[in-house]
Amino acid sequence: MLGALAVVVLLVIALMLTFVAIRAWPAFQHNGLHWFGAQGDVDQQISTMVNTGANPSPADYRFGAWPLIWATILTTGIAVVVGLAFALLSAIFIVEFSPLALRRVLVPVVRLLAAVPSVVYGLVGILVLAPFVGDHLISSDRRTSVEFVIQLSGPGLLVSVVVLTVMITPIMIAIIVEALHAVPRSWKEGAVALGVNRWRAMWTVSVRVARPAILAGAVLACARALGEAIMLSMASGGKGFAPNPADGLTFVFEPLRPLAATIVENVESINAPAIRANVYAMSLVLLLSTLTLSFGAWMAKRSMRRYGVAG
Amino acid sequence: MSRRTRAAIAAACAATAVAAVSLPTHAAAASKPTITASGSTSVAPLAFQLARGYLRQHPGRVKFRIAQGGSDVGVADVGAGRVSIGMSSRDPKPSDPTGLVFNKIARDAVCVITNSANPIANLSTAQIQAIFSGTVRDWSQVPGAGLTGTIDIVTRTPASGTQDAFQKIFLGSKTVSSTASAKASNGLVQQAVKSDRNAVGYVSLDFVRDVHAAAYNGVACDLRNAKSGAYGGVRNFWMVTRGPATGPVRTFINWVQNSSRAQAIVGTHWVPLR
Repeated sequence: MLGALAVVVLLVIALMLTFVAIRAWPAFQHNGLHWFGAQGDVDQQISTMVNTGANPSPADYRFGAWPLIWATILTTGIAVVVGLAFALLSAIFIVEFSPLALRRVLVPVVRLLAAVPSVVYGLVGILVLAPFVGDHLISSDRRTSVEFVIQLSGPGLLVSVVVLTVMITPIMIAIIVEALHAVPRSWKEGAVALGVNRWRAMWTVSVRVARPAILAGAVLACARALGEAIMLSMASGGKGFAPNPADGLTFVFEPLRPLAATIVENVESINAPAIRANVYAMSLVLLLSTLTLSFGAWMAKRSMRRYGVAG
Repeated sequence: MSRRTRAAIAAACAATAVAAVSLPTHAAAASKPTITASGSTSVAPLAFQLARGYLRQHPGRVKFRIAQGGSDVGVADVGAGRVSIGMSSRDPKPSDPTGLVFNKIARDAVCVITNSANPIANLSTAQIQAIFSGTVRDWSQVPGAGLTGTIDIVTRTPASGTQDAFQKIFLGSKTVSSTASAKASNGLVQQAVKSDRNAVGYVSLDFVRDVHAAAYNGVACDLRNAKSGAYGGVRNFWMVTRGPATGPVRTFINWVQNSSRAQAIVGTHWVPLR
């Protein structure tokens, strides 16, 4: 019975992949591997595909998703790395150093934060953060210096990453706290008995055995960040642009739009075959990334699990 | 991983799901004919009000089921026979399915908006084209602007009917600059312009609160000028049917187009046909 259920789940995943792949095929057929590259203004290409309607010519399928892929990598990557550092330190504090009264408040608040709908975070992004960044952090000289390339108005990499980090960190904290709690007390006591201080016992014993759970938390957070559409559609600046780290400080203010946000903004027009194929192609890339992520984490955890307690 | 953590994660995952918007109207007996509609998010608020008014005048005659999704969705849905009425805020395109009939039900003004710190009095067609196509990139080059600095262009995503209308009415053969930031709805454009002093965008007349609506070719963008025909930036709202409308759909569309009560509903926020 349970086995049958598991098979059903696998089947659903396989069917979903096949369906998305078939629908996405025309996009790769017309673009080849250039689909993953940069082929000029991606928003212009989307607009062409939407307006061409029911009978697109092969040239209409032209699409280079690199700016969108790069935006996804940037937002997810930075948010997960920054969030993981925050989550690890806060989890250690909550489990090991926080007074009981504070812990009783912190843990439910963290869970609450983990469950806030992303559209609420998106609102905070566009109503509070983006205007602040636009008014106080971006100087008019900086705006003028790049005015022929891109407009800096507030929403962009910085706002996206800050909001995304706030969104995914609570999930990681919740998971890491559970794992640290599950470390047998005697293991830590053993370390302390050997003469190391609490901080060191924490790092060398608790955090070490909790590694699989930390990884699991990071993967889950990563998956949420990859698939985040609504918030990023609102706060990312709405421009298929690949921010360039070589631009110095301007880099963090540059607008962008990740894959998931692009998908959600263009589902309205998927009755046009060209945009439909490319929306499915973007979905396929996201789907495969999350699958690869889960599989990679599973492989990595196998080697850690020997001394692990959770995850 | 404990059960509580799992619950927290499940809650987090569920929260990311987006609720679909669809407003069922009056429930009635199953035997009544049902008029289904989908499409433009600009037309939908008007369609809800019209459906309510129709049922008030003819209680129990039909049932309505109105969903949104965007003009392109409405046109495609009605073309495929999934709904009886497709709502569209854009004119027919050559790429639309064949055999569709576009029934005009109302008109709506599109306003060019700026931040209230930049209450620019008037914009001519040439100025709007220069600003949105990127030939002019600084407010200091625009006579009458209340500030200097870069011009931040806010546009709509390609699926938008408002974008179609703006392109056709205001820009003509010019295209919006590639540096422009694209938003997914009228409300997001309004918010972007409201919070950025340098911004300029365009929205449906319904969305000009807290921003400055610039006059277009010397005519203020308001309901009165749109109704009188003085304002140039006016587009059409359509109810699209597959072939000429028949039965209850025909009665309803006739009522919308011809009854004074229906056109009074239109006149509250939009431009009536007569």
